[in-house]
Amino acid sequence: MSTDWLAVQSFQRTQELLTAINTLSIHTKLELAGIADDERAEAAAKAREKLALFLKAFDKIVREAEQTNGETLLGIDPRMEQLARKFVAAKHDKARFHSPLFTQSLSEAANLLAPTEAKDRQALVEYLQDLRTLVEEHLHADIHQILHQF
Amino acid sequence: MREILRQSNIDLLREINRLKSVVYSASVLPELVTYQAQILITCEMLRRQGQQNLRDLDLNRDELLPDILSETQRLASWFRLYNERFAGPILRSLPSDQLCLRIIAWLHDHHPETHRVPAALSDGGFGIWPEPQFPIVYIMPFSRQRGLLYLPLFFHEFGHLLYVCHEAKMDELVYELQKSIADLLESTPQQDDLSAQEGAKRRRAIAVTWYLWTQEIFCDAVGFAIGGPCFAYAFSMYLRTSGRDAFYLPRSQLEFSHHPVTWLRIHFLADQVRRAGWPKEAEKLENEWSKIAATMGVTEEYHGFYEDRFMPLIRKTIDDMLTVASPWQFLDEDVAPSEWDPQSSSPVHLLNTAWRMYLQDPASYDSWEEQAISAFLESHRNE
Repeated sequence: MSTDWLAVQSFQRTQELLTAINTLSIHTKLELAGIADDERAEAAAKAREKLALFLKAFDKIVREAEQTNGETLLGIDPRMEQLARKFVAAKHDKARFHSPLFTQSLSEAANLLAPTEAKDRQALVEYLQDLRTLVEEHLHADIHQILHQF
Repeated sequence: MREILRQSNIDLLREINRLKSVVYSASVLPELVTYQAQILITCEMLRRQGQQNLRDLDLNRDELLPDILSETQRLASWFRLYNERFAGPILRSLPSDQLCLRIIAWLHDHHPETHRVPAALSDGGFGIWPEPQFPIVYIMPFSRQRGLLYLPLFFHEFGHLLYVCHEAKMDELVYELQKSIADLLESTPQQDDLSAQEGAKRRRAIAVTWYLWTQEIFCDAVGFAIGGPCFAYAFSMYLRTSGRDAFYLPRSQLEFSHHPVTWLRIHFLADQVRRAGWPKEAEKLENEWSKIAATMGVTEEYHGFYEDRFMPLIRKTIDDMLTVASPWQFLDEDVAPSEWDPQSSSPVHLLNTAWRMYLQDPASYDSWEEQAISAFLESHRNE
């Protein structure tokens, strides 16, 4: 009896997250450039909501991961836990993850998803870029379990 | 970079259109019409995404290129998933799929969370892709699709879908169980020669492993709750020849494994059979597995990942999970030795009758099964 279901669930969750990251990133960059992006405004608002919900829920898991000193967590889907561990490691990897927001708590970052000042928009763009790197690396394992490598 | 992305998106759009056209033109069984529509909706969504990527490229903003690249990669893997996995059940569709699809449709229609959720059938080892955001696909090996005896194993797979439908509450219950197991182990003095740190690590590994194990045992319980004895027969018969791994695994392979050793699952299943009022059947089930184990010289050993004192905790958790998931439960008439009536009986009655017929007289079973399948399909012809 197959265990692909674990990877399928993780794939779906991660893809949704990636859509939200990309939508908000493009919208914010266009705002920074002074280009109207009305067509995507509603999708960007939904992406903000989705990311805020995710970051708040993920914050709890990340905090637990930080407190348990490498011990595996209870009551959590193993793929979600792996993402939390990668996030904890990424926070200390300054060479690859540059965004200042990345060092803040996730709930603090969630409050900065709707910036009005240009400098905050720039910070958000950098944060989304780092978050995307993390999520894309995580997605890799699911894709290869579900679809196999060519 | 812009030109690379433009080429890739144009290529993806061409492929998406091709897939959409093939899926649209496919002649499918009535049971697959909703599933087919769902695939076509997604193809259209993918097509729009590809077009959006091209429009974003036309903005000529270099700072957007990493985002458009990520969206293109996302579109490509999303398309691969539909092209390689979800379109298959339509394009490989055979008239003989109707039997499985009818059982799956009945299963989905008899639960409020899955009512009218379309599902399809694919070939391979038993499994399910149970994410409600995706089309639901049940997977079954070729020959098993053609007969009645192994169809109850769909009920286990349906359990995975129910878990996902109630994931937050289920995870909460599993967490409580994991904590209880960890506490139980903590309260017992360490037997073997482990340091305190190693002992704590091992206890943690056991508790963590029960996250996925509980889900599998829950799915077995769903299987029995829906199917009754036919599920227990199918489960045992299908798995008892799968080899030594079904009876024993070394500690290193138990740690963080996705499934409990099947012999252990048999004990939980037997416990459920016993509690449902069939002590002799439960004993027979366990005896058969004990005989196979004895023939292989295997002694029951779970290396601390299971102890008898876990049983009440796990039993309570599974019962609570069943209450949350609330699967359709077999009725007395579904397991009664009365004649199966194509017009009024449930598919579960048919599957239990099939096992009774098979166990009574395997030699004449095939001809009975052929007629029973025809009668079953005919009885639902106009639904």
